[in-house]
Amino acid sequence: MKKVICYVNQFFGGIGGEDKADQEPYIVEGVVGPTMAINAALKDAEVTHTVVCGDNFMGSNTEEALSRIMGFLEDKEMDLFIAGPAFQAGRYGVACGNVCKAVKEKFGVPVLTSMNGENPGADMFKKDVIIFKGGTGAVKMRQDVKVLTKFANKLLAGEPNLGCEAEGYFERGCRHEVFLEDIRENTAAYRGVQMLKKKMAGEPYQTELIIPEKDLVPIAPAIDLKDAVIALVTTSGCVPVENPDRIQSASATRWGRYSIKDMDRLEAGVFKTIHAGYDPAAGNADPNVLVPLDAVRAYEKEGKFKRLHDYFYTTVGTGTTEAEATRMAEEMIPYLQEDGVNAIILGST
Amino acid sequence: MVKALERAGFNVVHMCNLIPVSMTVGANRIVPTISIPYPLGDPNTPKEEQWKLRYHRVGVALDAIATDVTEQTVFKVRI
Amino acid sequence: MKLKIGNIPVKDVVLGSQDGFENGVLTINKQAAIDYLMELDDHITSLDIVIAHPGDDTRIVPVIETIEPRYRVDGRTLFPGVTDEVVPAGDGELKALKGCCVTVVGGTWGSFGDGVIDMGGEGAKHTYWSKLINICLVGETDEEFERYEQQKCNHALRWAGHRLAEYLGKIAKGVAAESFEEFEFEPVADRAKKNNGLPNVALVMQPQSQMEALGYNDLWYGWDMNKYLPTFVSPTEVLDGAMISGSFMPASSKWSTYEMQNFPTIKELFEEDGKSLNFVGVIMSMLNVALDQKERAAIMVRSMALNLGVDYAIVTEEGYGNPDADYVRCQVILEDAGIPVVGISNECTGRDGFSQPLVTLDSKMNALVSSGNVSELSDLPACATVIGCLEAMNRDGMSGSWGYDEILGKSARDDGSIIMEDNNWFCGDHISGFSVKTMREF
Repeated sequence: MKKVICYVNQFFGGIGGEDKADQEPYIVEGVVGPTMAINAALKDAEVTHTVVCGDNFMGSNTEEALSRIMGFLEDKEMDLFIAGPAFQAGRYGVACGNVCKAVKEKFGVPVLTSMNGENPGADMFKKDVIIFKGGTGAVKMRQDVKVLTKFANKLLAGEPNLGCEAEGYFERGCRHEVFLEDIRENTAAYRGVQMLKKKMAGEPYQTELIIPEKDLVPIAPAIDLKDAVIALVTTSGCVPVENPDRIQSASATRWGRYSIKDMDRLEAGVFKTIHAGYDPAAGNADPNVLVPLDAVRAYEKEGKFKRLHDYFYTTVGTGTTEAEATRMAEEMIPYLQEDGVNAIILGST
Repeated sequence: MVKALERAGFNVVHMCNLIPVSMTVGANRIVPTISIPYPLGDPNTPKEEQWKLRYHRVGVALDAIATDVTEQTVFKVRI
Repeated sequence: MKLKIGNIPVKDVVLGSQDGFENGVLTINKQAAIDYLMELDDHITSLDIVIAHPGDDTRIVPVIETIEPRYRVDGRTLFPGVTDEVVPAGDGELKALKGCCVTVVGGTWGSFGDGVIDMGGEGAKHTYWSKLINICLVGETDEEFERYEQQKCNHALRWAGHRLAEYLGKIAKGVAAESFEEFEFEPVADRAKKNNGLPNVALVMQPQSQMEALGYNDLWYGWDMNKYLPTFVSPTEVLDGAMISGSFMPASSKWSTYEMQNFPTIKELFEEDGKSLNFVGVIMSMLNVALDQKERAAIMVRSMALNLGVDYAIVTEEGYGNPDADYVRCQVILEDAGIPVVGISNECTGRDGFSQPLVTLDSKMNALVSSGNVSELSDLPACATVIGCLEAMNRDGMSGSWGYDEILGKSARDDGSIIMEDNNWFCGDHISGFSVKTMREF
């Protein structure tokens, strides 16, 4: 019998409404309120415990609440964690998202919740947590629990996830490949020509890749170069010849920082590129074409900017996923901040 | 990577050849380089030419750091 | 141009004392074939021919190339400018040995563009090759200059593969074809759409040409496509060996020579020719790395499309990553010119599925077919037989496999099991059109 632990707020926990929203978290054995319906719908699994917490307590003491809940769960066996459904209740939705995310990160078990598209928790957490598209209020409880537990049963039985559209949860920007039946009508060639025919005829068709909207970061203000502490970062795979950090030549997950203190240029034979995505000859012959240390030093000596940071930071860009690139950048940041770097020349190949 | 660094508050100038990629990944200050395998110095040209080009484009990048922009901007290079 | 392909189904391939073809069984005199190939290239130091059948518990790695054995009835060479002189391709008659392929395999050494084929088990679903009888040509060479290079031309072995495909085709020259495929490409100027009111459709192909150094890229009539500009060609030329595959690009995103000879998207367009559209040919572009090269190619594709009277186009690329910039640019410039497009390619969304699927994106691309994800992980048990050398996955920088990873370990484990990215399946994303994979939101 698989074990499931659930989370509900004070209202669904049966303590009370707004007046009990400051309720501190606690855990009970077995079911409470809607988790009874969840338990009834589960196959070969049972709800062993239910966590209850007031929405306001969670909202204003999130870290404290989460840490206490993680403490409750530490010694419990659990195959799946379910929060909600939260419908359109904003604080409850955000709480479900927070708890699910924390449980997933700490215990690595699958987490599920359900809420309405208007619930701010949906947008905030749909990337991290599988959130089923729920109704606007508790009158939809039966329906929302049904959809959610149907998927929970599948997950617990190890059956394949058919994707967010078929299962009924929010799109997360998480794309994986699937194999279709091996027949001509499913080949990319056939699909492409049929899609073209529909496009020509003005008939509806479904593109297999919907282009997401662009997500931009706020533009950093200009810096007076007299105050500029500049660091060089590169995705060209330029490394010391022995590649001491074993950075991969494609699909990199590793990066390195190497001292350029007292160097006026990057010497061939001391540095080289390990990038597999382009012809390395030119970069190996003169690494400054990849990381322009010689030119940057020249400007530094002229006094065009304040000073150059003592290290350059390097990885390989080809095939490297966005998530890995972001993680690597975030790992570099403390080193940069520590030295007061405020501007970066990032070179890509 | 560009976005993660800029989000952390650094002023980032992206030197790259594929401007459309840079625009797509969300760089705000962009300075073009001449190619993928040799961004800042064509090995088929004399060393002095390579140096001139590299010195110029790095200079443009430094000036970009000191320039306020209101949208994703590709800075013009002369050589 | 009119190309007639007589199909000879091959039920089995066996090694024997004499070449022959009887009752659907191709018999190869192995030593004679090896002697012939070694005679033509003294860089080859050893060769072997091994047959692998669909369903065999066999793993083939590092796979360099696949080619369909064929015979040209008029005696012209199969791959002009490669296996012999530069002569016209695209019209005439071929005989094709269907259901098998020559599979070129490095005996010891792999390179960036080489891949994996599993003939049986779970891994077999990943490549089209697993459905064919693989006539594996396994060899060693004295190409010392690239022995330890991640990028290899693999010239000697690739050329030996093309020669073997031609050699095997000749064995079946007297065999009657069981069925025929006819690809008739009428001169474009003679068949204006006013005749039938159907829209004109072109296929824009973007073959791999990224290596500045010569010898690694796809060849067009033997010409390195890095030094090439977009050209209008007949689809029958592509099907008739005018183009061969190169050695650069992560394996799963490549088009092998077999795929060019049988390009599924070309065949599907011929199916519709005269019914729902006029197939007005192929604009053969390329995939160079620098921005100005990309822009120039896109402009030339646009000009050709406009001047040919193309109304709609399909764009497809041999690659991912940097080539996506060409793939996207070409679609956008055509859409801007009033020529709506469908794109066919694979994606790179990362192991977690959350990465941006193409390196550039543009909302003008509203009709895309996705043929797979280069970054999915495959974790598969050992196979009873390995053709080639498993250790190449750990040692030689094959795309999508590795020698060290602190969490996943090395790609080719000591017990013969493997863990690698989709990237390393030979032509696994079958962008050419064989792919029965798609992408879905999870």
